[in-house]
Amino acid sequence: MKNNQPLAQQQPPADALIIGAGFAGLGTAIRLQQQGIRNITILERSDDVGGTWRDNQYPGAACDIPSNLYSFSFAQNPNWSRSFSGSREILEYIHHLVNHFNLRQYIRFNQNVSNLAWDQDKGLWQATTTDGDVFSGRTTVMAQGPLSNPGWPGIVGIEDFEGKKLHSAAWDHDYDLKGKRIAVIGTGASAIQIVPELAKCADKLTVFQRTPPWIMPRPDFTTPDWNKTLFRKAPVSQTAVRKALYLAHESMALAVIWNSPLTRFAERLGRWHLRKQVPDRWLRRQLTPDYRMGCKRILVSNDYYPALQKPNTKLITWPIDRISENGIRTVEGIEHQFDCIVFATGFEVSNAGTPFPITGIGGRSLNEEWKRGAQAYKSINVSGYPNLFFTFGPNSGPGHNSALVYMESQMDYIVRSIRTIQSLKLKALDVRQSAQDDHNRSIQSRLAKTNWNSGCQSWYLTEDGFNATMYPGFATQYAKQMADLELEDYRLLAEEAASETV
Amino acid sequence: MAKIDLDNMLEKIKNTQWSLSDVDWDAPGAELITPEQWPKLKAFMADLMWIEHVGARAFAAMAKKAPDDTLRQIYTYFHAEEQRHANAEMALMKRWGMLEDGELPEPNNNLRLVIEWLDRFADDQPVYVLGTVVPMLEIALDGALCKFLLDTVDDPVCHQAFELINGDEARHLGVGFSVMEMQGHGKTYIELIRMTAQLMDPRLILGIASYFPLLNKMRDNIVEMGLPEEKLYEAMRKFEKIGGRTGDGRRNPWFQIIKHHGRFVVDRKKRFYHAPIDALVKVADVIPKKAFPAVPSWVKEITYHPTA
Ligand SMILES: Cc1cc2nc3c(=O)[nH]c(=O)nc-3n(C[C@H](O)[C@H](O)[C@H](O)COP(=O)(O)OP(=O)(O)OC[C@H]3O[C@@H](n4cnc5c(N)ncnc54)[C@H](O)[C@@H]3O)c2cc1C
Ligand SMILES: [Fe+2]
Ligand SMILES: [Fe+2]
Repeated sequence: MKNNQPLAQQQPPADALIIGAGFAGLGTAIRLQQQGIRNITILERSDDVGGTWRDNQYPGAACDIPSNLYSFSFAQNPNWSRSFSGSREILEYIHHLVNHFNLRQYIRFNQNVSNLAWDQDKGLWQATTTDGDVFSGRTTVMAQGPLSNPGWPGIVGIEDFEGKKLHSAAWDHDYDLKGKRIAVIGTGASAIQIVPELAKCADKLTVFQRTPPWIMPRPDFTTPDWNKTLFRKAPVSQTAVRKALYLAHESMALAVIWNSPLTRFAERLGRWHLRKQVPDRWLRRQLTPDYRMGCKRILVSNDYYPALQKPNTKLITWPIDRISENGIRTVEGIEHQFDCIVFATGFEVSNAGTPFPITGIGGRSLNEEWKRGAQAYKSINVSGYPNLFFTFGPNSGPGHNSALVYMESQMDYIVRSIRTIQSLKLKALDVRQSAQDDHNRSIQSRLAKTNWNSGCQSWYLTEDGFNATMYPGFATQYAKQMADLELEDYRLLAEEAASETV
Repeated sequence: MAKIDLDNMLEKIKNTQWSLSDVDWDAPGAELITPEQWPKLKAFMADLMWIEHVGARAFAAMAKKAPDDTLRQIYTYFHAEEQRHANAEMALMKRWGMLEDGELPEPNNNLRLVIEWLDRFADDQPVYVLGTVVPMLEIALDGALCKFLLDTVDDPVCHQAFELINGDEARHLGVGFSVMEMQGHGKTYIELIRMTAQLMDPRLILGIASYFPLLNKMRDNIVEMGLPEEKLYEAMRKFEKIGGRTGDGRRNPWFQIIKHHGRFVVDRKKRFYHAPIDALVKVADVIPKKAFPAVPSWVKEITYHPTA
């Protein structure tokens, strides 16, 4: 549905203009609302909320972080059915948040933002959508998702394929997979969840791998009823479990982020998992990663390796030469023919640019500035782009803990900043370039010591190997970084006077 | 051959791929194989195909050990390309009625030993060991076996297939010799000692024990086919000539070792070498099939079907 209404410029601008109705956009709205800020507009390009969990409904889609930790601390859910919830259950939780906090009133669906520009005179951000509508806000929150645009591989001949093409992040549920000859390209987080499901129904399933991932055993179980009752009756018990899970994941940083004895230990655990599940020596060799654990995202699964060994399933590690009308040609000279190719090839990551043009003070272009790798102050503000806040901005990516833990720190920072803008009657709150530079120098020197920068290629890095994605530390350190709004790092511009106050 | 730019080479490799379906395996010409040729050709092709296949496995090991990402990718492609050669050669065998439906030719016992060795130890070898042995085998194949095959077989499809295969091989050799030179660059006498010390590694000795007889066995096969063995030797001397064309190449201690070994192989008068190695070939021939462990699963990946 489309909101037919007069041009937004004619409406009073929102106090907070939020782009995206995923966890981040909705969570920010909840927190603002709790602080009495209700003049909110959320622009969402789709016709439903949910972001990641709305789009990723492929068979087997699930979260890799236990649900008790992958949920908002201020809105815990005692009813999770499993330790690791499926995509649908997480989407239900998001719908529950929207209803419970009455957020639907703020959301404009089917509004795809294609341009964002700062109007210095008015002190407003203007968001233009693909339909030509313009929405304005005194402050703007970029909550468009770190992984929201499907990425397609640069394989020659993709357009030539005459069968069905599916992307993991845009599943077509009307397509019947039963009895089909199916290819899966990619062996990342989505692929290892899809493969076991497809292996159950495909006539023939072929998995094309370029680099094997590290895969750890997954301690998955259904939540017993007494447990749900306990969480309902005594929420402190759930908070305690959440705290324990949080700390358990924090400790994983020692293995994931830095090369430590724990990294060796975790690698041994991964190899043990592989040995236990894959008896064949050659297949095991194909599945053994040859890069340090943590360099790319670590995956968890109990049923991926077994699925690969089913009689109808095959792993192919030959390089792909091209896609043809009937299938995929690999370099060993064989054309593997399929009815359907599933692209589990991840997302376009904006680590060297912005998802749409963003124009700041004096017409400066953020896309241009970020060409050689995105940079921000504390991942959240960029100098020259006042009153603009990024969720999952540069160097905020978690490698070892729930994204929502990081997100909550960002949301609180945003709420604090917007309240400051309102209470000090500021026209613009603009971070100083020097503060941003200092922050990045320190981040990059810390990153140099991490596993991510240890020499493998991953979506964490730009083509030149610059890491604009990950946060090099514990979630606790990140939370500390985000805990204070240090106003001395900002230029403050008062609303009426055009002059700068300190 | 000037030293090649490996990044350009990788680009070129990616842009010049072919697949089995580019060849019409049912085109006329199969009848040109004479009944007299047929049985010998069958044995020859079976060996050739297996040598490609073990070459493939050697490249797989080199990919694991490659010193940089470009070489790793190149070796990954070469691994697959050698597999493609084995597949194409099997498709020829199928075309000539040498294979039943779904049949895989039996590897001879020398090859079984090499397969066993590769499967168990190849991944542990320093990259320059295989990086020197493989070009030697390739040049022997390229210069002798394939050329000879084309001289004796008139079937145009065979010629078409080998034109494609030889296109790949030219690049394999180009990279092979370049890498040998890279590895020889700046090497000193001390390093020579250190590298040769690795010869004492029992795993490597096992490898040598399977590689040497393989060359002699190939020689026997060629002679059986009616090829003057001189042709094989000519090719092996080419290894010495190209590999030793620069100082860096000559400084690669493994080049020196393989070169000297090559000289032994081509000189039948070196009885102290040939007597025991020929004996090993014979010994290998009488190893009962049951004595070998099950073939590793990579061996079963070859196919003559252009599509799957
Ligand atoms: C398959 C998958 C599995 C994951 N698993 C985990 C996990 O196990 N643990 C973990 O911590 N994290 C995981 N993540 C990361 C996940 O993305 C985050 O945890 C979180 O969902 C991000 O929420 P978000 O609101 O920032 O973004 P999203 O959920 O992506 O929401 C962004 C919203 O913005 C909208 N939007 C985008 N562009 C525009 C535009 N131009 N105009 C208007 N609207 C726009 C989108 O439609 C979307 O609704 C996973 C991600 C994926 C894709
Ligand atoms: Fe070959
Ligand atoms: Fe070759």
